[in-house]
Amino acid sequence: MSIISTKDLCKVYEEGAVPVTAVDHVDLVIDKGEFTAIVGPSGSGKTTLLNIIGGLDRPTSGSIRVGDTELGQMSDGELIDFRLHNIGFVFQSYNLIPVLTAEENTEFIMLLQKKSKVERNERVHALLEEVGLKDKMKNRPMELSGGQQQRVAVARALASKPQFVLADEPTANLDSKSTNNLLDMMLLLNKEEDVTFVFSTHDQRVIDKARRVITLEDGKIISDEKRD
Amino acid sequence: MMLIKIAWRNIWRAKVRSFVVITAIALGLWAGVFASAFVEGMFKSKVDSVVEKEISHFQFHRQGFRDEPTASSYMAQGDEILAELSTDDSVEAYSGRLISMGMLGSANQNGSIKINGIDPEKEAQTTKLNERLVEGAFFEGIKRNPVLISKEIAEKFKVKLRSKVVLTLQDINGEITAGAFRVVGYYDTDNNMFDKMNVYVRDSDLRPLMKIPQGYHEIAVYLNSYDLAEQKAAEYQERYTDLEVLSWLDISLGMRLMISMIDTYLYIIVGIILLALLFGIVNTMLMAVLERVREIGMLMAIGMTKMRVFGMIMLETIFLSMIGGPLGLLFSYIFVEYFGEHGINLAGAAYEDMGFSSTIFPFLEPSRYLEVSIMVLGMAILAAIYPARKALKLKPVNAIRKI
Ligand SMILES: Nc1ncnc2c1ncn2[C@@H]1O[C@H](COP(=O)(O)OP(=O)(O)OP(=O)(O)O)[C@@H](O)[C@H]1O
Ligand SMILES: [Mg+2]
Repeated sequence: MSIISTKDLCKVYEEGAVPVTAVDHVDLVIDKGEFTAIVGPSGSGKTTLLNIIGGLDRPTSGSIRVGDTELGQMSDGELIDFRLHNIGFVFQSYNLIPVLTAEENTEFIMLLQKKSKVERNERVHALLEEVGLKDKMKNRPMELSGGQQQRVAVARALASKPQFVLADEPTANLDSKSTNNLLDMMLLLNKEEDVTFVFSTHDQRVIDKARRVITLEDGKIISDEKRD
Repeated sequence: MMLIKIAWRNIWRAKVRSFVVITAIALGLWAGVFASAFVEGMFKSKVDSVVEKEISHFQFHRQGFRDEPTASSYMAQGDEILAELSTDDSVEAYSGRLISMGMLGSANQNGSIKINGIDPEKEAQTTKLNERLVEGAFFEGIKRNPVLISKEIAEKFKVKLRSKVVLTLQDINGEITAGAFRVVGYYDTDNNMFDKMNVYVRDSDLRPLMKIPQGYHEIAVYLNSYDLAEQKAAEYQERYTDLEVLSWLDISLGMRLMISMIDTYLYIIVGIILLALLFGIVNTMLMAVLERVREIGMLMAIGMTKMRVFGMIMLETIFLSMIGGPLGLLFSYIFVEYFGEHGINLAGAAYEDMGFSSTIFPFLEPSRYLEVSIMVLGMAILAAIYPARKALKLKPVNAIRKI
């Protein structure tokens, strides 16, 4: 079952002296339960593609569907609501609200979704347990390592029960041990709970763990390799 | 709830910056409110003293006397009025006066002066003139033609206690007459202008000089309640249509103006201070927003609506302003209460030349604190709008690109 599908997706930046085609006629289908890495040299369009898939940016042409929904047709307000309920985000940094604890950060998104107190408590604690941070629940981001912060970000992304999680270079700021830990945790969530992950990376060790690797160059898909 | 928590905690992220803003608001408000209380206290005591010592609550005159105080313009039915006043329950005291714009002459000098012919006992009850005696005696010790003058006049005309002075004036027929009086004492009020102009003699001494068999030029009435002045004046006006019966507010238009000024003064001074603070707060909050571009972009990316982002920045600004506000008002309250009790002595600061008392008791209507609080809240909301809008304009993609 496909949860993301793009057709003839293009994104052209007109701002500079020369227009830049950051995403160039991309046709892509991602199914439920995938663990997909988007790779490619710097400037190849990874971030742009992820932003369009995540409903953060709009394509210049082509279509992008998430589930049954065509994102291109939505207003800004509808997109915000769609993101809140359907997509989990993990960024490279600045994922967390500095003044909230790990627990509150995770709970925050469920508050935006207007979930009940009981439901919030239960899910937040379960998720923090799963990412191995039960004992750091009351710590603020400043008091956590980079790897721990990214785990909280993953917990936060999952708290909203999204259709999939998008992560743009989630390990870029982590050392190799933390990178491994985070990836193993994501893999576990993928295997055991069928969470769909789509992430971009430069890191060969991360690429090695991916189950599907899509390579971009100048905005075009030049290879799409499924491993099992 | 969570937004309140976030907004509140955000204030303490840049502790020094927030502290500076909070202190500025507290000090600014304190300065503004205290200055207003000072002025209000100053004006209030001026108003009180004008009512208590000069005008009383309302006065009777012949029509036109106040514009042109001629000797013949007296109220012949004066005694009848006094009799009526003596039976009025709300009247505490009254005083009938003969008034003449005349000349005072001493061995050295001549000068124009207002001669007030009074019944010392009644005048003491009405304006407490006796309490303002600083030297000599209050119409005692000199049997024939005593005159009470101010220290200023004594100095100007170089006369001493028991010196002889000559008062020259016009009688009702317009003829110039003169009488020899002897200085019985000095009085002193807070109002130097008043002191330079007025001397007091007994009406019984002045009456034959002016050839007024009975009646008065002026009757001043002191009531047992401040608030009755206008109502009572109107009542007597109805009964004595040929006379002019005016409350203190209408006699001294300056007082009416002063009272309305007191009201606006606070708004103006606090308004100006708040306006200055507004820019400080806008600046601080803009900094806070710009520093958090990525964080706000992230919040919008994960699904926080624009309304909520707007609300978060609004709340933060309002909190920031509302911490300093009550602090400033608390300081103000403490200062106003303390100095309201003990007074601020500004002797020598030339206040008396302008007719103000030299010891000022700051005063503020309690409701003013509420009004100022509302003004601060209004300012806070106003200050919040621009930074909050700035945050709204952020696009999550652009904000996130910077990550
Ligand atoms: N806002 C923008 N305006 C103009 N050009 C842009 C903008 N954002 C990205 N680009 C251009 O689009 C192209 C793709 O950029 P993108 O950030 O998607 O690459 P990337 O693969 O994520 O690179 P990296 O690995 O460095 O993160 C680049 O050539 C970039 O310069
Ligand atoms: Mg990128």
